[in-house]
Order: sequence, then structure tokens, then C-alpha cells
Amino acid sequence: MEFFNSLLRWLVTAFAMTAVFSAHAGPMGFKGSAMTMGDFSPNWQKGWVNYAPSSRDAVGVGALAMRSDDKRLTRKLSELTYTRLLKRVNGEHSQANLWFVGGVGPVSGNDFSGSKTLWAPGISADYETTRVYVSGTLRLYRASGMNHDFASARAGFSFYEVDYEETQPWFIVEVRRMRGLSEGIEITPMLRLINKRYFVDLGVNNIKQGRVNFMYIF
Amino acid sequence: MFKFSKILTSPLKILCAAVVLSTTSGLMTAATAAESAKATVNGMVCAFCAQGIEKRLSSLPATKAVFVDLRKKIVAVEAREGQSLDLAAIRHEITEAGYDVVKLETVAMSVDELRAQSAASRPARK
Repeated sequence: MEFFNSLLRWLVTAFAMTAVFSAHAGPMGFKGSAMTMGDFSPNWQKGWVNYAPSSRDAVGVGALAMRSDDKRLTRKLSELTYTRLLKRVNGEHSQANLWFVGGVGPVSGNDFSGSKTLWAPGISADYETTRVYVSGTLRLYRASGMNHDFASARAGFSFYEVDYEETQPWFIVEVRRMRGLSEGIEITPMLRLINKRYFVDLGVNNIKQGRVNFMYIF
Repeated sequence: MFKFSKILTSPLKILCAAVVLSTTSGLMTAATAAESAKATVNGMVCAFCAQGIEKRLSSLPATKAVFVDLRKKIVAVEAREGQSLDLAAIRHEITEAGYDVVKLETVAMSVDELRAQSAASRPARK
């Protein structure tokens, strides 16, 4: 069991946290588009909107509220974000991406007064076909005297292929962990629905908390 | 046995034949008048992501309709009547949306015909 836990922690850390950028393809839309994202559970609420002036860059704003598993510690972060598509490999039946996501903004908490400037650089990678999806993200959340580094990994499959206009259902499992707030590993099996207009994840994690993610491109 | 001479002897039949030929000819002209650009695109694996292609191509001035086929990795753009498609612009828009065009050709088919062709060759859902 100890080995299993160590392995799981290593995997989570290695792939690191994609939950925030749960995008099937990436944390930004196409050139000239605005994209909004949300990730909501009792311990984690995040909203984010960005605009892509180019096919590889996006700038945005986001807000994140976090709570420790024991509900004693809270954090609230507002951030300006920058997203960069570092590398994309388009295969005949697949796509792989490497992303940089950075953020900076004030963070406040219930265990200190005022606010601190938090820096949140991160990296994310994903690989997908019409039937398979895997991704991983690592993101540092650092401020003076604060370290809430975050890691997540996701993997799943679609039940069947669909036409462009149809909604495609997927089964996705996510594992994630945030240092200093959630020492346990959160595991969330989710039903994912992808349509050309929207993207939604619905799940319940291993501590029986509901979870909703969504994305929408304008 | 069919005898063409019998048609010639019947004014009513001649009239009917003329109407049928005229209608058929008209339909064929309409069918062949449509022109579409058909691109084979690498990396197109999900509808949410591929909507960028559809939106960008739809905004081109000569575009009448766009068809995206995720299974065959095909994107088709039909030209408005009397307008011609700019293949270089189509390639550019797909590339700017983040995908790779591996083949681009002009076909004498409408988007609806390409959609029907795609549907006809679709395998049963497993």
C-alpha cells in the first residue's frame, strides 16, 4: 500500500495538475476567440476567461478560491494569466500539445492579514485521439512563506466516435494534489460531454464531493 | 420490347419525354455547378477544438457552407454562387486554427453532397 501511494504521488507530481486547464485540447481557444473555464467543487472554485490574439498566445484573468481538506485553511487568489502553446504535434489521428501557463496576482488567506503577491508558473501536456485522452499538469503556486504547488493527471476514453455536430461522452479519471492544502490525493471519475459548443465534466471525488468543470468558446 | 419509334408517334409521349429530359438536365446542371474545397486535416480529433476551423472558414467572404468530418479528418468549404474559393486562404485559416493541412483539392460537389457521401460510408456505431 505504501508503494502504491508513493507511486501515485510520483505520477501525480510527474504529470502535475491539469485540472485547472481541463481543456481537452488546451487552455485557450483559437485565434481571435475568448474562452471561459470553470472548475467547481466544495474545496476548489476557479473561474477563468482568456482571449487569444494569436494562435499560440492567450491572456486572461482568473479567480481561485481554495480550502484545505479539514476546512480550516482558505486561500483566495486573483490572477492575470498568460498561456502559450509551446509545441503542437498534429498526427493523422491524434494531437499532442505542450503548454505554458503563468499567472500572477494577490493572494489572501485566513491565517495571515493583508495579501501577498503569488506567482503561478505551470506546464501542461496532453495527448488525444478521437477515443483516448491523457494529460498532466504541474503548476507552482508560490508567495512569500507560501507553497501550494499543484499537480494533476487525467486519462480517459470515449465510448464511441461521433459526428462533428453530435455530443460525445467520455469517461475520465483525474488525480490531483495541492501541497499545503490537500495532502491527500483527490481522485475523481468524471463523465465528460464534448460538443462543438461546450465542454462539461461531471464527477464525484473520493471524499464524496461533487465536481463540475466547463469550458465555452465565444 | 422498347421501340423508340413508338414514342415518336405519340405527341403526348414526346412532350413528356421532353419535360423529363429538361428537368433532369436542369438538376444535373445544378449539381455540377457547386464547387467545394476539400481539405484533409491532421490533428482534428475533437469537435470542441475543431469549431475554430469552422468559424474561421465561415468568415471567409466566398464561403457558403462548411462541413467538418471528424472521422475522415476532412474539412469542406462550399463557394457562394458565382464566387471562387481561395485555396491559399483556406489553408492559412486551418493552419492558424492550429491544424495541419495534408491535402487540399477542389471538388465539383456541394457541402450537402459531401455530407451525404460521408454519412453513407459511416460505419455502424460500436
